[in-house]
Amino acid sequence: MSKGKSGNSRLWPILGLTMLLCTALMLVGFAAALRDAWFPSRGIAVPEASEPPKAAEGGLADKPQWLVAALGDSLTRGTGDETGEGYVKRTVALLKEASGKPVKLVNNLAVNGLTAIRLSDQLEQRGVQQAVAQADIVLLTIGGNDLFQIAQSGGSIAEGRDVSPELLERLIPQTEPLLDEIFEKLRRINPNARIVYVGLYNPFYDMEQARSMSAHILDWNDYAHRLAAADGNATVVPTYDLFESNVKAYLSSDHFHPNAKGYERIAARIVQSLE
Amino acid sequence: MANLLALIHNETIKVWRKKRFAVVALVLIVLIPVFVYAQMKIAQNNASKFADWRSELQQRITDNTNALSSERIPEEWKRWRRALVQQLQYYLDHDVNPNTPNAVTFTSSFLENSVSLFIPLMVLAVASDLVSAERSTGTIKMLLTRPVRRWRILLSKWVTLILYVSLIVVATVALAYLISGLAFGYEGWGEPVFVGFEPQGSDIELGAVHAVTRGAYLLMEMGLVWFSALVVATIALMVSVLLRSTAASLVTMMAAVISGMILANMASSWHSAKYLFNVNLDLTVYLQGTPPPIEGMTLGFSLAVLGVWGAAALATAFAVFTKQDILA
Repeated sequence: MSKGKSGNSRLWPILGLTMLLCTALMLVGFAAALRDAWFPSRGIAVPEASEPPKAAEGGLADKPQWLVAALGDSLTRGTGDETGEGYVKRTVALLKEASGKPVKLVNNLAVNGLTAIRLSDQLEQRGVQQAVAQADIVLLTIGGNDLFQIAQSGGSIAEGRDVSPELLERLIPQTEPLLDEIFEKLRRINPNARIVYVGLYNPFYDMEQARSMSAHILDWNDYAHRLAAADGNATVVPTYDLFESNVKAYLSSDHFHPNAKGYERIAARIVQSLE
Repeated sequence: MANLLALIHNETIKVWRKKRFAVVALVLIVLIPVFVYAQMKIAQNNASKFADWRSELQQRITDNTNALSSERIPEEWKRWRRALVQQLQYYLDHDVNPNTPNAVTFTSSFLENSVSLFIPLMVLAVASDLVSAERSTGTIKMLLTRPVRRWRILLSKWVTLILYVSLIVVATVALAYLISGLAFGYEGWGEPVFVGFEPQGSDIELGAVHAVTRGAYLLMEMGLVWFSALVVATIALMVSVLLRSTAASLVTMMAAVISGMILANMASSWHSAKYLFNVNLDLTVYLQGTPPPIEGMTLGFSLAVLGVWGAAALATAFAVFTKQDILA
């Protein structure tokens, strides 16, 4: 059948046999896939999880390098920052400059719209615990989504309609125990890290009917500060004053999240608190 | 039987002479290094940014969770992402790295990405002119004037096609492994991979999840890719019989394959699309445990759809080929 050129006599046996073996292999693979899907075996054993690295004891000043983990809501995520840096990356860069030490971000685990109860759940996850456990500094924002209903609807504001000081007053006592819980869990995961809680600000300070909210926000920050003082190795960084005199310049167009300049100022505050 | 074997021998050598397989191999040798390079850059970038794979994986989970909170993302994409997050979380909880950079992992993901377009394309290079080329060169008359039954001729062509499809899938895997191994190292066969994730609505059922080795996973993947490539090849054979022109049959098949890929990405609301063969080509999704293109599709369903299409194409090809008028 072949056209009788020399070399063909060897091509067919080699090619034919190779193809036959390939086909057999494919049939085996196909059968294995079906068997695994329909009659699953117990599977192979997975090696035991290794112990994740833990942060060293001692004060920040004694450590040769700092690892940073960030947790919380959209503020930690950096929502509203047109450069995408947020306060976390800026803080890391500024800390590197100020301390002269290598500073590295382990993870930014912030999730947009995260509420205190969800953060508390998140702290039960293995990956989150691993990140927090090895951090020397834990940056944290939480509570904004619990206290400002408007933040939950994506942060768009309808002329201050959703802004209500009375509601805020009611929500604060409900949320405070959750903050307790979060501090407690963080400490259990990592006894040595410096916890930095970035306080809340009033994004509606420029609106007449919302100005009175500031008092409640200060109450909340004050509560966080008492928690931090009781902990001994935690700091609350105030931000409320940054967004009072010139709201437009430091808030992004959603009128809720800071813009790049706003985040820059928050980062500067955090670095000052750690120096 | 000897007669049939001789015919297959003849067909195999003919395809080889036309250098079809050489083209396929050449395309692979040019393409794979490009992907290896891209993958290497990603691995280097991750290594410089993250302390270890765990924090990288955790960041992937967090980033996908964030995308889920966006209102702008369509519900089908969220379904896919939610499944991904749950899978990654499962890997992290069991301290298993889903993406160790090695040649076996690379080969697996190369196969997953090429199943719906690249492999069918390679197969079409062989399948599309198996019959029509004989017609355009006129050799079909010579072939059919022999004292051989027509169905035997077509059968020999189909068997040849199966052999070449197997060769193409194995060659793709072998080349991907050999080339990527230069960059990533040749280990990784024994590492664990989780299979058995069952997408249920917007959730993933974890009850049947178990670990297999990467080697076994790759073999299963090859088997599934091979089956869908075989169906594409069979349908291409039918089109080649019906349309009589190589260019026309190639274009028809490519249009079918490409539209299938687009449909699989966007037609999840059009439920009856799941009966089209081209939406079912990516059988590896069932092994990976990612949600199928259209809700309600399962491995059994896709295999049945592909099987029916393949059988119908084969029957049509035989019916037409044995009765067709060849004088033209």
